[in-house]
Amino acid sequence: MAHPGPERRRTSAWILASILLLIAVAGTLVVPIYARSTPALGSFPFFYWYQLIWVPVVAVLSGIAYLLTRPAKSAPGSGGRSAAGGAGDAR
Amino acid sequence: MMKFNAVSFGILLVLFAVVTVVGFAAARWRRTENVLHLHEWGLGGRSFGTFVTWFLLGGDLYTAYTFIAVPALVFGAGAAGFFALSYTIMVFPIVFVFAPRLWSVARVHGYVTPADFVRGRYGSRGLALAVAFTGVLATMPYIALQLVGIEAVLTVLHIGTGSSNAFVKDLPLIIAFLALAAYTFVSGLRAPALIAFVKDALIYLMVIVAIIYIPIRLGGWGHIFSVANTHLTATNPKTGKPNGSLVVLPAGEWAYATLALGSALALFMYPHAITGVFAARRRNVIRRNMAILPAYSLVLGLVALLGYMALAAPGVAATVKANGANPQLSVPLLFQSMFPSWFTGIGFAAIVIGALVPAAIMSIAAANLFTRNVFVEFFKPDATPALQTRVSQFVSLLVKAGALVFVLALSPSFSINLQLLGGIWILQTFPAIVAGLYTRWFHRWALVIGWAAAMVFGTIAAYRVPSPGKPGTHFGGSADTVPLIGHTVYIAISAFVINLVISVVLTLVFRAFRLPAGTDETLPEHYTADPEPAAAEPVPVIAGATETG
Repeated sequence: MAHPGPERRRTSAWILASILLLIAVAGTLVVPIYARSTPALGSFPFFYWYQLIWVPVVAVLSGIAYLLTRPAKSAPGSGGRSAAGGAGDAR
Repeated sequence: MMKFNAVSFGILLVLFAVVTVVGFAAARWRRTENVLHLHEWGLGGRSFGTFVTWFLLGGDLYTAYTFIAVPALVFGAGAAGFFALSYTIMVFPIVFVFAPRLWSVARVHGYVTPADFVRGRYGSRGLALAVAFTGVLATMPYIALQLVGIEAVLTVLHIGTGSSNAFVKDLPLIIAFLALAAYTFVSGLRAPALIAFVKDALIYLMVIVAIIYIPIRLGGWGHIFSVANTHLTATNPKTGKPNGSLVVLPAGEWAYATLALGSALALFMYPHAITGVFAARRRNVIRRNMAILPAYSLVLGLVALLGYMALAAPGVAATVKANGANPQLSVPLLFQSMFPSWFTGIGFAAIVIGALVPAAIMSIAAANLFTRNVFVEFFKPDATPALQTRVSQFVSLLVKAGALVFVLALSPSFSINLQLLGGIWILQTFPAIVAGLYTRWFHRWALVIGWAAAMVFGTIAAYRVPSPGKPGTHFGGSADTVPLIGHTVYIAISAFVINLVISVVLTLVFRAFRLPAGTDETLPEHYTADPEPAAAEPVPVIAGATETG
């Protein structure tokens, strides 16, 4: 709990998470990247396996973004809730 | 090939009966004392954790759209239909960003619908009415798509459709529909949430078997892709152009990208998707789900490939052609020609139940919208929670009837256009809802006018698109050429741009003239709050009614 500058840590975590999520969206939004049939993977033209591969990639990127942006630790299940607005920093 | 099969039908019937019983029994699941409250009937008591939310959102999002409409488009047009995979890949990272804020502010203020939020945020009944109207309107073609999916299965099973009597012909669909309406009426959101377990078990079983077994029977993926390519590059006598292509052509890249992006932005504007978000117990549940929901995207991608298998399976393409060239029949016909009767029955049940669950959730969400934001707001401000629930129950029936109108009025060659038409409309609520989660900069009247202009533009543009090869027909597609850039673009996106530009310009004008901005009942910390779920929350009947305003 003694990490210096929790606010700045949260901001940089959010920036990193946003970059990951942007990559996740851009991966299949930019169609010219994958509108081709080669290289094929097995019998699958590039167009198909490229997009299917993105599904687990996006899941991993979102998972990392989730871990990065999780609210500050509060003992799970305990009464002490991490009221975001009320727990202003005491400085 | 199309003939009645007692085994398939029997299994479909048994599974349908099981689901109906579960649907009615769901009324008792996690029941609380305050049954006749909209939070109970419409949001399952806001009590769902990660696990149930995953099933509920999955049940929301993967529907007859996935199992009938997308493969039908792939069957008919090839790679162009794969935009749906790209769409479901993009949607979760996008929703990851804003959905938790929406959940928090809704929990703090007891909002049940997206229009509740808009009303509280902008202090504008008119803008809330616009959002509510759009939600109900856009949901109807989406439910219509579910009915078309069920109809495709019944047609292939040759139930009723052989009869010349119109009533007998539609009887099976009506019976399925009435069962759905009845348990939705009784159990509210708990019914689809509980049935979603059964549904997903059936769907995963069906998909895994289909993806492994059918390619083996057809002689491998290489054969499937090569036969599909032959079909797609053949010239369509009606249009004089190839049917489609195995890889998106440069001319179709804009349409592909905008269809995917527009659908992704639109999805969580649908009242039913927002309902799934609101029903979550804690804020964290939502983000965690965004990381595990892509499992459904994988299913969608694999199911889309069923369209190619249908092209490669001997006899399927010919039977589709012989039955009014209805590509919606391709997946049910594929199952029937590849699987033993009993497994065909399971596959059909998966499709039918996979269409009924989302239809239930959609009609509940649309009904909540009407009750909260039209009935209570404009007609009966002192309605008790019990009366509100009662009204919602009846409106959920009306919404389904409205969906039937879309089924009958629009019979497009590709049912996916029903969902895309809904997307054109619902996306126009995005600026009010999502921008509102971050800023009060936009003026409420500017948002209303931007919305109205985009709705009119989008509807007219979609009306003017003819079906391929049938000039003079209407609502035949969802993408159109944009004059300035010269590319084919999903109409939802072009309307969205118009919406944004008007909203920004008019906000500047209205602010310059200092027109009243309306009161905002939300505070910045409400958007990040994560209150513990309370057993009996003191929730205002109308959002804001108990506030000082």
